[in-house]
Amino acid sequence: MYDNYYEPESITVSPGETVRFMVENKGNLVHEFNIGTPEMHEGHQEEMMMMVEHGVIQGGKLNHDMMNMDMGNGHSMKHDDPNSVLLEPGQSKEVVWKFSDKGNIEFACNVPGHYQAGMYGKVNFE
Amino acid sequence: MKPRFLTGLLSLLMPAMVLAGEYDLTVDRVKIDTGDFVKEGIGYNGASPGPVMRFKEGENVRINVTNNLDEMTSIHWHGLILPFNQDGVPGISFPGIKPGETFTYEFPIQQAGTYWFHSHSGFQEPDGAYGAIVIEPEGREPFRYDREYVVQLTDKHPHSGDRIMRNLKMMPDYYNREQQTVGEFFSDASKNGLMNTIRDRMAWGDMRMMKADVEDLQGFTGLINGKGPEQNWTGLFEPGERIRLRFINSSATTYFDIRIPGLDMTVVQADGNNVQPVNVDEFRIGVAETYDVIVHPKDEQAYTIFAESMGRSGYARATLAPEKGMEAAVPQLREPARLTMADMGGMPGMDHGSMAGMDHGNMDMDSSEDMSGMDHSSMEGMDHSNMDSMDHSNMEGMDHGSMAMGKGGQSDPFYAKGSGLVPTAANGGKFLSYADLKAQDPLYEDREPTREIELRLTGNMERYIWSINGVKYEDADPIRLKYGERVRFKFVNETMMTHPMHLHGMWSILDVGADQWNPIKHTVSVQPGTTVYMETEVDAPGQWAFHCHLSYHAAAGMFRKVIVEGGPDSTQAKTDVIAEDGGEA
Repeated sequence: MYDNYYEPESITVSPGETVRFMVENKGNLVHEFNIGTPEMHEGHQEEMMMMVEHGVIQGGKLNHDMMNMDMGNGHSMKHDDPNSVLLEPGQSKEVVWKFSDKGNIEFACNVPGHYQAGMYGKVNFE
Repeated sequence: MKPRFLTGLLSLLMPAMVLAGEYDLTVDRVKIDTGDFVKEGIGYNGASPGPVMRFKEGENVRINVTNNLDEMTSIHWHGLILPFNQDGVPGISFPGIKPGETFTYEFPIQQAGTYWFHSHSGFQEPDGAYGAIVIEPEGREPFRYDREYVVQLTDKHPHSGDRIMRNLKMMPDYYNREQQTVGEFFSDASKNGLMNTIRDRMAWGDMRMMKADVEDLQGFTGLINGKGPEQNWTGLFEPGERIRLRFINSSATTYFDIRIPGLDMTVVQADGNNVQPVNVDEFRIGVAETYDVIVHPKDEQAYTIFAESMGRSGYARATLAPEKGMEAAVPQLREPARLTMADMGGMPGMDHGSMAGMDHGNMDMDSSEDMSGMDHSSMEGMDHSNMDSMDHSNMEGMDHGSMAMGKGGQSDPFYAKGSGLVPTAANGGKFLSYADLKAQDPLYEDREPTREIELRLTGNMERYIWSINGVKYEDADPIRLKYGERVRFKFVNETMMTHPMHLHGMWSILDVGADQWNPIKHTVSVQPGTTVYMETEVDAPGQWAFHCHLSYHAAAGMFRKVIVEGGPDSTQAKTDVIAEDGGEA
């Protein structure tokens, strides 16, 4: 992941294939790698906006204390869904994902503005 | 434009391959048709606006400018980093271009993004002498798009610049149609109480400002790429495409609030420099600023690009559509903004002798209400040292409730608290603030400034005098900077108008409180009653212009020459050869 784009910008998988992604943030800003449909990304962008407004994401830094804080009703801003990772500059993590059926799937960064600026890639099915 | 590339020949002669492009521009008398009126003006290559100049980062450009006018001309490459003698300001960079003469500019392109060019002689720029510059970067950009358009705005007035300046000098409210009326006085009186209304009006009279002075030039037709609202410039797209719009405000005096109903905009560049992307519903573009946004229309329909002037006295309009001839609804102009007492935050330093003697005792303060309700934070820009003669004891009983401190709700740290100018998005959504602008990839290391220079933006609207620190250009000493220092400029706006301050030759690092992520700009808007800081790495030897980009303010004296002393020997400025015929805006 770079500021603000992926390399590569598209991948090809077979239905039913399990893929191990080695995700590395080579930029200077916080970025996300998130697998989902455009609608899922749009929904997630609101949560990410909240993370910026609460100071969890600050340019090139993540505020981990804030992420674990109880937001009430058992909610937190941990960002621990299995389809995504949120990385500071220099960090790398793995995401293992099984692509079951064909669909309109993208990998995307939902840090506010990044998706709209073009930080997403297409998952093509063979 | 058909650049003649000389790379083939030059690459044989040069050790490294350097791209060199040659371009020709003629400066011509042209006819300008706005749809509302037709007027004589000045343009480039036979048209106003001139062509879009497309350069590539790393290229050496040669631009041959032929003056077909019967008067001197010049071209300033607004926002470009170049040797000072190529900057195109008569009397500061070079003597100017004589009638019939061809002057060849030659400089390396060391940046990328959206910029513009314009005449720096007399009022040729408001008369039509402007065009766009698009520079393609060497590497990939931190965003993606399928097509792009330049969207260049101006405020075309039926009068020539010379005539406007004469009228403003004679009668500063000549073009101000929004003055409050007797009818408004009585409706204010019934709303706010007669005494409060009288008090408010007395204060405004003493400020030598009129409450509606958001704009001092009304009666214009807003143009986009040279087309009036009825002529409707249209950019085509295929649904699903991502479009980069390069907004440039080439107005003489008009700020525009821009929105595209039905589309979110993602701001990716400000003044040619990449910023961390921000999603907005609307943004305000100051005179001489540029903003690049990406939009993503998914539906087979037309969208209106609507640009309302900040004072709501006019608008520009264009369309994005899948086919020529398609249109979308054009919104109504919103109610004009009114300045409030908060916008007078900088009042003491103004050239308003009347202020010191303002007798608050006459105001027959009827309440013992204390001042705790008054928001002093809006007065940050106030220079208290000037207030000595003001009798504070009289303020104790002053009913600040009458000061119309704004409707609340909206705030922006770059406007005075309670300012009547704080912009709000028409759809209730996000309006871009300077505070949202963060550098995508900071150009400079963050470091402590070596010194601070205070520049009070001063004026007397009733006499149409505009100045810096109370001194107009012709009476002022140059600002002297040392090569290698980092200067912190403190702008204190003591007037009631917004001033877009433009430093030539070096970047303005706007302090938005983001330290190393502070964005770099070439034009910094300073709102009434506010203090704004910017820092400059003094890295360009020579002498440069530094001025308010409102054409008539610059010409009236809100202008300075900056001299950078020292520097690498090879580039040491030889500035004494330039004719001292006075810098023109």
